[in-house]
Amino acid sequence: MAGLELLSDQGYRLDGRKPSELRKIQARMGVFAQADGSAYIEQGNTKALAVVYGPHEVRGSRNKTLHDRAVINCQYSMATFSTAERKRRPHGDRKSSEMSLHLKQTFEAAILTQLYPRSQIDIYVKILQSDGGNYSACVNAATLAVIDAGIPMRDYVCACSAGFVEDTPLVDLCHAEESGSGTALALALLPRGGQIALLQMDARLHQDHLDPLMEAAMTACRSLGQVLDGVVRQHLQEVSVLTGE
Amino acid sequence: MLKADKVVVLRNSRGGHVRVVREVYLREQVSCFSSLCQDRCSNEGKVLPGDVTHYVVPDAGVVRDFLEVLEFRELRGIVFTQTACQVVQHTRGRRQYNRLRSLLKDPRHDCVLFCNEFQCYSYCPREKGETQEKWHTRCVYRAAVWYHDHLAGLKPVVMITEDQEAVAEYNRLTSGVYVISTQEYLQSFWPDLQAVQELYISIAQVLQERESEGQEREYAEHLPIEVLEAGIKSGRYIQGTLKVNKHRPQQEAFVQAISSTKSTELSSDVLVWGVRQRNRAVHGDSVVVELLRCGEWRGRIMALTEAEMGAEERIGEEQSQPMPTGKVVGILQRNWRDYVVTFPPWEEVQSQSRNSQRILVIPWDRRIPKIRISTQQAEALQDHRVIVRLDSWESTSLYPNGHCVRVLGKAGKLETEIQTILIENGIHVPAFSEAQLREMPLNSKDNPWTVEASEVAARQDLRATHLVFSIDPQGCEDVDDALSVRMLPGGNRLELGVHIADVTHFVRPGSLTDLEALSRATTYYLADRRYDMLPAVLSADLCSLLGNVDRYAMSVLWELDAKSLSICKVWFGRTLIRSSYQLCYELAQNLLNDEPVEVPELTQVEEVEREKRLKELKTALQQLTQVARHLRTQRDRGGALELEGVEVRAQLDADKNITALVPKQPLEIHETVAECMIYANHWVAHKIQESFPQQALLRHHPPPRQEQFAQLIESAKARGFDIDTRSNKALADSLDRAVDPRDSLINRLLRMMATQAMSNAQYFSTGSCPLEQYYHYGLALNHYTHFTSPIRRYADIIVHRLLTAAIKLDGGLGPNESVATSKELEEIAQQINNKNRAAQQAQKQSTELFQCLYFKDKDPLTDQRCVAEAIIYAIRANGILVFIPRYGVKGAVYLKNRENQVVSVRSDGSCEWQGGMLQRHPDRICTVTPSGTHTFSLFQHITVRISVQALRCHADTLCLEVTSNRPHETVEQESLTAGKGRTELVQEVVRWAEEASQQAEEHDRMPKLSKEEREYQQSKGPNLYCLLQEIRELALLDLSACQGSETCITSA
Repeated sequence: MAGLELLSDQGYRLDGRKPSELRKIQARMGVFAQADGSAYIEQGNTKALAVVYGPHEVRGSRNKTLHDRAVINCQYSMATFSTAERKRRPHGDRKSSEMSLHLKQTFEAAILTQLYPRSQIDIYVKILQSDGGNYSACVNAATLAVIDAGIPMRDYVCACSAGFVEDTPLVDLCHAEESGSGTALALALLPRGGQIALLQMDARLHQDHLDPLMEAAMTACRSLGQVLDGVVRQHLQEVSVLTGE
Repeated sequence: MLKADKVVVLRNSRGGHVRVVREVYLREQVSCFSSLCQDRCSNEGKVLPGDVTHYVVPDAGVVRDFLEVLEFRELRGIVFTQTACQVVQHTRGRRQYNRLRSLLKDPRHDCVLFCNEFQCYSYCPREKGETQEKWHTRCVYRAAVWYHDHLAGLKPVVMITEDQEAVAEYNRLTSGVYVISTQEYLQSFWPDLQAVQELYISIAQVLQERESEGQEREYAEHLPIEVLEAGIKSGRYIQGTLKVNKHRPQQEAFVQAISSTKSTELSSDVLVWGVRQRNRAVHGDSVVVELLRCGEWRGRIMALTEAEMGAEERIGEEQSQPMPTGKVVGILQRNWRDYVVTFPPWEEVQSQSRNSQRILVIPWDRRIPKIRISTQQAEALQDHRVIVRLDSWESTSLYPNGHCVRVLGKAGKLETEIQTILIENGIHVPAFSEAQLREMPLNSKDNPWTVEASEVAARQDLRATHLVFSIDPQGCEDVDDALSVRMLPGGNRLELGVHIADVTHFVRPGSLTDLEALSRATTYYLADRRYDMLPAVLSADLCSLLGNVDRYAMSVLWELDAKSLSICKVWFGRTLIRSSYQLCYELAQNLLNDEPVEVPELTQVEEVEREKRLKELKTALQQLTQVARHLRTQRDRGGALELEGVEVRAQLDADKNITALVPKQPLEIHETVAECMIYANHWVAHKIQESFPQQALLRHHPPPRQEQFAQLIESAKARGFDIDTRSNKALADSLDRAVDPRDSLINRLLRMMATQAMSNAQYFSTGSCPLEQYYHYGLALNHYTHFTSPIRRYADIIVHRLLTAAIKLDGGLGPNESVATSKELEEIAQQINNKNRAAQQAQKQSTELFQCLYFKDKDPLTDQRCVAEAIIYAIRANGILVFIPRYGVKGAVYLKNRENQVVSVRSDGSCEWQGGMLQRHPDRICTVTPSGTHTFSLFQHITVRISVQALRCHADTLCLEVTSNRPHETVEQESLTAGKGRTELVQEVVRWAEEASQQAEEHDRMPKLSKEEREYQQSKGPNLYCLLQEIRELALLDLSACQGSETCITSA
């Protein structure tokens, strides 16, 4: 079965989706009581847990302190049981540190850090099950967790991956699509203003195809934003019922 | 946003068991692709018609094993399920899967794909403990039930399966959905389709036998694919395509290494010696070879093979030096096609094998090994030609296994032989289907076709302003080019116009006609018939630029300076023309020469008017000639080769009933028309290349390798001529000089050798080739394409579309029909190149067939026509190669027979066999016998006797025997018979065949067939084009190497 057919002649993907359809998303906020903010998200079979501590004083070496804004500290890890073959090293490998850095960059662009000078915000994300689109699941989970922690942000940060197969952009890639040949791109977007928080692509793509691919990814991010918004509103409703307001 | 259920599927894959979780999204709306859909499915593209009696859903196993049966176009209304397609993909590999995909895409075939696994009501998860086959069957059954319900029970749905348990289990479960076995289905629903049932039975038999195979190993196992790939990468193995030597199919095969193997500095091909080392590879397969140690290397055989007469030896080194030799260790890609085979006589079958149901049949193509097939019809099919497909070749079996597909007919019958030639060359030319003909515009007496008003507005109207005329052979019906020339107001500009039939107006991209034309790629001209690329209503009527009717055209108009004839302006565009005169070549030439002639268009006109118009036409022709002469000199200066001239001359002679032996000057008007066409092609190539630098279809002719000319230079030296091959100009000049005033044939032979040394001209997409390689060597032009014959060449249709798009681009409009990408264009170019090669090959073989039929019933010993003069053009170790100008036959003459006797010459010149030996020199060969030494030298004229060697399984061949070392003497008789010409030879043979077939009434299929063919033949009898082609074939040029000549024939 060499070379899976990622997009059939009738326009179906491997898992029965059309090119522009997202996977099913389920999310919950406030899953842990000890942390300041936490969230859990499922995008298809990709499952991620995000926890936020802070803002608090800068711990460890003092020289990291920034005088005009808060320091954002991100850590990304994957559970040993998250992939089909057991992972030896859950965090600290090259891929994870790169991912941590990307998360940091994304959230520095989204959180209003200047409100908290000389302080630190910690974001810890763990992938519980991996089925493609790890980065986007992490960003989406972390957004919900930051909101849960009550830290002001410019907008939701919504991330989505997109790939280019047979001249058609596919959004929200699953693992098979990601590992098959073809270009994949990850995009984090602030949907209301349409600003791009992060764009990453490390394969080759013809210049003419970049625009349609970006457009598809941005549309997907916008609809993701709506889903996240719904989750937050529902969560607020539940909380306000509990607090009796 | 998305309403989907998530379902988890568990799978194991790879060596270690890995649990991979995949999700499947199900939806309610999955297109059913039926025109009866009650639910408003978004059915885009191909849909199943409502007029079939039922829909049939084949089970996964049926699709896997019996796809060939389902490929019959007569079986309509097939619904392939996604489950079945995936099974094919996983178990039969990509090739089979692609075949299924192209079947689904083919608009001529009524079948669709239903994605049952994405439909929430037809999806069913695998149950615990259920076998995969059972699960697939259940999925397909659910899909069939869904289909039935979805169409609200309007059509009965039949599911066919090979699984008898499934039949029992499901058949009565749902009313309206029937589950039956494949055999039962074919018998009850398609009792008339005998061919389908036979095919089914033969495949089923093969499947059965595969299970009961013996275990004795005949060949080494092939290495696994990973080992092969690693070996190729490291340079240990060599990858290439296996080519079996036609003359020694048992021993010699060559693998041409593809360039990626850098590490081995192999300059030549790799020899694979013997069947065992070939290890089950068949001609054309892509194989991997391992080199043997240098000590085991061996050379190829240089002598002419005695067993197979008419064989022409490849040119090589003097001795057979050892060359790299290897053995096949693996096969990357089988390249099996349909083969034509012949059944052995029944007695032979019974004597040779214990099991008379398994028969070794002999393929028509010598390069293919014998094929073992199992059939019960061996007795009925003896001496028949049958199409066979290969199934497998296990290491335990000496011969490959195959199965019958279709019976062609009795060997030796004309129809059978022609069909054989077509199939062996991969040419498929069924009659145009009704759906295709429905796309055609109507033009009948009651409902004549007229020019549309909208088109008149969009096109340049040249009807009133230009004097347009066409020059074609007598009786030509498919006129695809016309010319015009006029002096522009002011008197110092001349306007030359070439008008080509606007085929693309009628043939829309993607239409059925377009697809059919692409798959044919060209009109096929055989010796006695032709198969058109486009339906007759287009090729002989609406696209043909006939006289005095309005026609759409694509025109190229040049403004030339009247004095210097240099180009001032070029205009391309769609036009509306009305050809005033439909001239033939001879008439036009007579007009030019100012001889009194009768122009048919002017007979009705009054005297004064006639004079005036005649004068007008003459002026135009003179201007045209003048321009053409100028263009020709320009091109000659660049180094254009004239290789075709000889053939045209020969043809004309035949047409005018003058002996073909005397070369005569061709009419200048031929060259004039050809030159205009080359010019138009050149400018259009220039234009489309400029507008679409990455995706234009051009034609190039790569310069030949210098070493290919070795034989030409050697031979010319024997007669004291010096041939300079450094550039095309030098070659053209030196060929012009190499004329022996006493023997004009020598120049023809030298030109033939020059042509043989060259490679073929090819179509290509500009995006796939560097700029330097655009050059056309034969014509000495830097850009060239084909534009002038869209009626009979598909490449021209593509070029017309490109030109239209380029014109739109110039007008500031984006092209509304998207231009094909470079990759698509390259694929199209490849297809056209392949088909052109097949067409030439088929034509050559059909001509050979007719030659054999002609000589078959003549007694070589008594009939004068079987003795002819021949000229020696090459020397081999045990014989000579000769050319017989009278019949245009090339062949080998052996000077040594099997008893080791050689030819000795008596004093009166006649020859006899005697014991002796041969001595070979570069320019002559000597036979040494007790009675003296006799020499046969290059370009010597001798007399040969022609006889036919009848072969049961292969094509008959002509056999030549030397009778005298002097030229043939009966000149009077010769000119008499030669006067009959080639045309009549063909006609005579056709007539015999028809008479024979009428007498043999029991064979009722043949007259029907030939009637059909005559229906699609436009002009009755061979027209000049096919004659040209034919004569070119006969007159020396080996078509496989011939390129230059086709440009001239462009004008026909």
